[in-house]
Amino acid sequence: MALEAIYVQVLALILFSIGLIVAIARRNVFFVLMGVEIALNAVNLSFVGFAKTLPADLSVAGQIVPLFSIAIAAAEACVGLAMVILIFRNRESVDADTYSNMKG
Amino acid sequence: MLALIYFIILGILAVGSALCVLLSRHPLYGALSLVLSMLSLAGIYGLLGSPFIGVVQVMVYAGAIMMLLTFVIMVLNGARDSKTPMFDGVSLFVIPGVIVLAALVGFVLVRTPMAFDETTLRGSVALTSRTLFDVAQTGPGYFVLFEILGLLLLSSMAAAVLLAKKRLGSVDSDDKEEK
Repeated sequence: MALEAIYVQVLALILFSIGLIVAIARRNVFFVLMGVEIALNAVNLSFVGFAKTLPADLSVAGQIVPLFSIAIAAAEACVGLAMVILIFRNRESVDADTYSNMKG
Repeated sequence: MLALIYFIILGILAVGSALCVLLSRHPLYGALSLVLSMLSLAGIYGLLGSPFIGVVQVMVYAGAIMMLLTFVIMVLNGARDSKTPMFDGVSLFVIPGVIVLAALVGFVLVRTPMAFDETTLRGSVALTSRTLFDVAQTGPGYFVLFEILGLLLLSSMAAAVLLAKKRLGSVDSDDKEEK
């Protein structure tokens, strides 16, 4: 028994599903942001796992792209939390369903 | 063999703490279990042979992003609104849907033949920096992305500051302050 490439992908799939469930099903807006972070992490893991199945020079790209994705996630969390602060000040609630101003 | 044992331990930690995020009531507990999930993922990156991504994961995710998240949760005092239910009726449809999606993708993944390549390169600092800052005309050109990313981070920081600051002198913000 040794570490197989498929195990990494299955772990990434499980984490992505949990992240998706957290992002869609939870109502607290902080948990929505955390679910997005979990899903992004799972995608990074999948990138690295697939990169390790490629021969020498081809395996570089899969180990560079996660760096960019981590930086994008930092920017996303920064702007997202600023918007949460802004809306929380107006609504006094963390329930994502009360943020329905833009509906329709 | 040893790698598999480490992988199983770290994977169980990652999945377990992600489930804690799904099931915890207070956002602060969720954020702290998310830190554990990120740290164990960083360990898996190191195990797979990309130590640089693992270190960046610890610094940026477990350090910066989660610090920002816990800070905002504490500042806003999100526990004040404890009447919000965790799940609602939509979850009854979302959770089976996501599980079916995962089962379909997992079926395809398991059927796909793949194996680790022996000649794969280790994602060390030297390799990453050589590839990232390769400014040769025939190079991969990641440095342009890197520069654009600097601009993106700067603009998102400016946007966050502009969005979240109190409107100075406005009547509305003064009212909120007195509550």
